[in-house]
Amino acid sequence: MNSKELLIRDLLVVFALAGWGLSIPYFGSDFIISMALTCLMYIALSSSWGLFCGATRYLSLATSAFFGIGAYTCALTLEKFSWVQSIAMGAGIAALVAVVIGAAVLHLRGTYFAVLTFGMTELIRHAITYWEKSVTGTVGRVLTVVPERDTIYLTVLVLALGTILLSIAVRRTRFGLAMLCIGADEQRAQTLGVNTKLIKLAGFALTAAIAGAVGAAMSVRWTYIDPHTVFNPFIGFQTVLIALIGGAVTLWGPLIAAIVFSILAETLRLQAPQVYMMSLGLLLILSVLYLPGGLASLRWDTFKGWWLDAKAWYELRRYEWSGDKARDKARAKRKRELRFD
Amino acid sequence: MTLGAWVELITSGLITGGIYALVALGLNLQYGLMRILNIAHGEFLMVGAYLTWMMQTTFGISPLLMVPASFGVLTLLGIAIHWLCFRRLSATSPNLDIFEARGLMVAFGLMFLVQNFVNYFWGGDLRGYDYLTEPIKFGDAQFAGNKLLVFALALLFCGAMIVLMRLTLLGKGVRALMQSPLGAQLVGINTRVLHPLMFGLGLGLSGLAGSLLSMAYTISPSMGEPYTVTALIVITLGGFGSMGGALAGGLLLGVVEALGMHYTNPSLKALLSYGVFIAVLLLRPEGLFTRKSRKA
Repeated sequence: MNSKELLIRDLLVVFALAGWGLSIPYFGSDFIISMALTCLMYIALSSSWGLFCGATRYLSLATSAFFGIGAYTCALTLEKFSWVQSIAMGAGIAALVAVVIGAAVLHLRGTYFAVLTFGMTELIRHAITYWEKSVTGTVGRVLTVVPERDTIYLTVLVLALGTILLSIAVRRTRFGLAMLCIGADEQRAQTLGVNTKLIKLAGFALTAAIAGAVGAAMSVRWTYIDPHTVFNPFIGFQTVLIALIGGAVTLWGPLIAAIVFSILAETLRLQAPQVYMMSLGLLLILSVLYLPGGLASLRWDTFKGWWLDAKAWYELRRYEWSGDKARDKARAKRKRELRFD
Repeated sequence: MTLGAWVELITSGLITGGIYALVALGLNLQYGLMRILNIAHGEFLMVGAYLTWMMQTTFGISPLLMVPASFGVLTLLGIAIHWLCFRRLSATSPNLDIFEARGLMVAFGLMFLVQNFVNYFWGGDLRGYDYLTEPIKFGDAQFAGNKLLVFALALLFCGAMIVLMRLTLLGKGVRALMQSPLGAQLVGINTRVLHPLMFGLGLGLSGLAGSLLSMAYTISPSMGEPYTVTALIVITLGGFGSMGGALAGGLLLGVVEALGMHYTNPSLKALLSYGVFIAVLLLRPEGLFTRKSRKA
């Protein structure tokens, strides 16, 4: 397939998804709708994460910070402004914070960057908790003006589809190519005339804006928010997890993984939350070890590769355990001794 | 404030600092030697604490006996984990950067796995037991006996670790590997033995710290994460790979936290430690105590 055919295919898939997403509120039960909402939230979060962090290989753990900032902004402004305005403000402030954080930490790479963004998230969470405790006197907030359920659903749907369309578009521009370039080799990209600092900052702010908007849209669903729920580091971890298990560089990987995970979460979480988390951890380890490209890189050849690996491993063990190896070693030793005698 | 209150404050800081140093030493060994940033380190501390608690409450075994036992159990666990996960990871990763990122992800997975396993197995409640709780007086300052014991043992094990690294052939090999992996392998240092062993030793140290911790504080499945973060802070303070730096950094952070909490208020503790952490990472990423930056 050439690039134009790929574009048409991607757009068709988005169109079909939009149709499915739009129809769910008309036939689904409350349970299905809430599941779809979680699913869409993680699609938006992990696709936007993959857009910057997947391409540039900057492992950011700050998603929950932007999510929480968006949620808080929306909670504070919803009484005075309209729904769309509050969401836009949530996105704007998250992006602003991202620019400030990014200017400070984007020159660091790898583990330093991951640890620092995690530290920043916790710092913001504790700062807001402290501020709430000492200034307003309460820890949580109850949202009184809440839009209808269908409005929330539609907003999150628009955000999720918008994120996918955005990442389709970004992949086809100089901006997307520059980010991929930074991921491949940052110094070379710089030498070839890519303004890496600006590109990284813009990409980071873009992911933050989307995460902020999603946070703002989701905050009204809970009707009561406190720093521990909206700045929950688990939101950030799960976003990263979904993106990585799906394949962070790919377009559809995060989406596939988000759907799989939402179904897994909703079915397992109510009966056995610990088992859900344990399987999450196990899946993450297994996917990093055996499928580093993510679910989207799964082909028939992958299964064949695993089968061949397992067979080779088994052959080796049989050679060892049957005593053949020891016998061969002894034979070689005897041969050596004979030669020197 | 009287002199006695000052001594109490500083000493309580040093006691927590000793635990921090012990956890950080293990993490430092793993990161400095293998570039595995083990985010799950605190979870293994929690496992050590739970093992000690379980043995104490169900079989009545003294926590002091459980200190070496949990060290042994966790060392074996660490060797097994290295054999199962990180051996394959280092064989399949094309370069060190990718290995580091993937190792971080595997450690995250381990964190979920271990934390929720303990939660599933022992339940999420706060646990604890009484051990040597009578106060001991020095002049007009007084301390709980168990905390003093914890501090003494933490210092002892930190000291033993540093002696092991400085004076023995094994420690020499480890330090050589930290300085130059390739060079060390060329002169015949076997990474296939040393890497699992040191990973296990790191986990063993954190299990030991957990075992000590359970003597003086209550334990819960979510207790590990703050210690991981603190250990990260401590090794950035002390410099990656430096053992003496980790000890000094741990004690320093304990005292800074105790003083800061006394002068402001306790809910600022987390804010304070994250603030210190970010400031150090941004301003002196090579550590407070290193004189010149060494190439990683």
